[in-house]
Amino acid sequence: MAKGVYKFLNPVGIQEPVEQHGLAPRLKTLDGARITLSVGAGGEQGILIPLAKMLPERYPQVNWNISYAAPVATKAGSLALDEGKWGEADALIRGVVW
Amino acid sequence: MPHLSTIEKYGIPCVFIIFEDQDKCWEEACILNGVPNIRRVWGSRHVPGPEDVATWIDDLMEALVRPLTEEEKNPPKWKVSDPRYIFEGTVLEAQEFFQQEEEIPQLYNNSPICKYTDGLPIVPPTEELVAEMLKGTSHKPDELVTYQTDHPNLGDRINQMGSSGVKGEPVYFMPMRRKATVEKIATIGVMSGCKPEHMPILLAIAEAGGGCGDGRGGGAYVASGPYAKEIKMNFDTNVLGPGNRANRTIGRAAELMWRNLGGNIPNVTNCGVWGSSMNNCIPENDDALPPGWSSIREEYGFKKDESCVVPVHMGFSTRNTEFMPGGYRELQKSGHGGIGRRLGVKGIPGPHNWMEYFIDNLWADGEGGKTFFLLPEMARDLQLYGFKTKNDVYEWLYKKSFMTIKEYRTHQTPDVWTNGWKAIEPTSGKPWKELDEDYMVPAVADPFSNCIIVTGGGEEMALWSGGRGRDSGYSIDNWR
Repeated sequence: MAKGVYKFLNPVGIQEPVEQHGLAPRLKTLDGARITLSVGAGGEQGILIPLAKMLPERYPQVNWNISYAAPVATKAGSLALDEGKWGEADALIRGVVW
Repeated sequence: MPHLSTIEKYGIPCVFIIFEDQDKCWEEACILNGVPNIRRVWGSRHVPGPEDVATWIDDLMEALVRPLTEEEKNPPKWKVSDPRYIFEGTVLEAQEFFQQEEEIPQLYNNSPICKYTDGLPIVPPTEELVAEMLKGTSHKPDELVTYQTDHPNLGDRINQMGSSGVKGEPVYFMPMRRKATVEKIATIGVMSGCKPEHMPILLAIAEAGGGCGDGRGGGAYVASGPYAKEIKMNFDTNVLGPGNRANRTIGRAAELMWRNLGGNIPNVTNCGVWGSSMNNCIPENDDALPPGWSSIREEYGFKKDESCVVPVHMGFSTRNTEFMPGGYRELQKSGHGGIGRRLGVKGIPGPHNWMEYFIDNLWADGEGGKTFFLLPEMARDLQLYGFKTKNDVYEWLYKKSFMTIKEYRTHQTPDVWTNGWKAIEPTSGKPWKELDEDYMVPAVADPFSNCIIVTGGGEEMALWSGGRGRDSGYSIDNWR
């Protein structure tokens, strides 16, 4: 058997091609922009507490919305921005994602 | 990521804070979700918050206004292919092919990884061997692996990645969200060293997502029902060890599904930490269930003469009873020894509830239900002690898990799932923050979060790991 030539089947899973989209257009200016900072549930307070404080201090021209995600054990927990509020945000900052 | 990419597609510019060592995982997840290279900055794992934030806060804001590059506006198409044959040559050449390693430049990856195997040699999957393997099922080779029954509790993360759990819908293997045919499962079965009669359980495991879990590895599988005996699985001494072909090769196949079907590459497509070592598939020992105790399949609504597999936690979080088997025997035979002294039964013959020995510390550093792997003798002692059903044990564990809020607040994970203690505490219906410090709360959501598998044999030791998953059992018989 070792000397014969065989065809060997492919164990790799079937990857469906995913249509690739460009990034959303960037903001023309920060002045007056409605930017949501979505703080991930339970994650990295060491980063996010000072960030939530420093952003409005450093960028007062922005119309800030600081939101806190729901617990991760629920579907809402992984949502950075509720779909009903997409029209209220010009941009989104989310952290820490992992 | 599916949610985040949807926001970007909707037209809202985003920027995210991640960690540098996870950047490659980020890139892969972006492509998989159709928006390559979503902008991000790297936080530090080490530098104190204010100092860390000051180093990147301006980059964060600049990412929202910096004009897009041409590639960011029009990313290249993602080309994929799925040839039925992957190699042609001799068996020896095929061994080399399937064990080939690839170097993946990525932070922390300091060594190559095997492209198709777990690092060990495989049986090269010739068309002839795969055809022989396919005789173990009535399902057609080109049939897609789909849910044979409804599975409504797969979990948000798996649902978001495409698997609906709805009967007839395809199973997507994580982390790369790929599908599989029955033939691909047979191919992996051949590679793992399985026999044709293993096909029904391999397909049931595939229906349950293989060894992929939500992309970070899925623990292990328990086989429950007469099928385990049919294929001569070992449910006695050494149930987790090497030596039994069915236990080991079926467990190995689940792991090869993670690599080949799921596309798992540590630190590239999967941000796991320690990895998940190869686990045997574990058969339940039906014959050793104490009177009145249900099999795991009956707990999930299967009949006694049916067979299924159940995903269970088994990995680095697994612990064992930290007493010597002889000490256990002395407890039950005469009440002598340290366990008897702790339980206050010195000199009194058993049966005693040996779980009392460690119950006070069972949730000291983690919450949630536990899955216990019990030797028949230890299960029997619990039954003789007074737990007439498994549910009695589950209920007892639940009640024992209660602790004061003062104590509970010294635990870490509730910070997350209570949303910083702003959520509602389930047993009182009141916000966590409004409850007295001495209010008692359970560390286990409900009794059924606990799980007992009776299996194994030999010296009196038990294992336990994380609690029962939300998902249910998967029929083996549907794949015969």
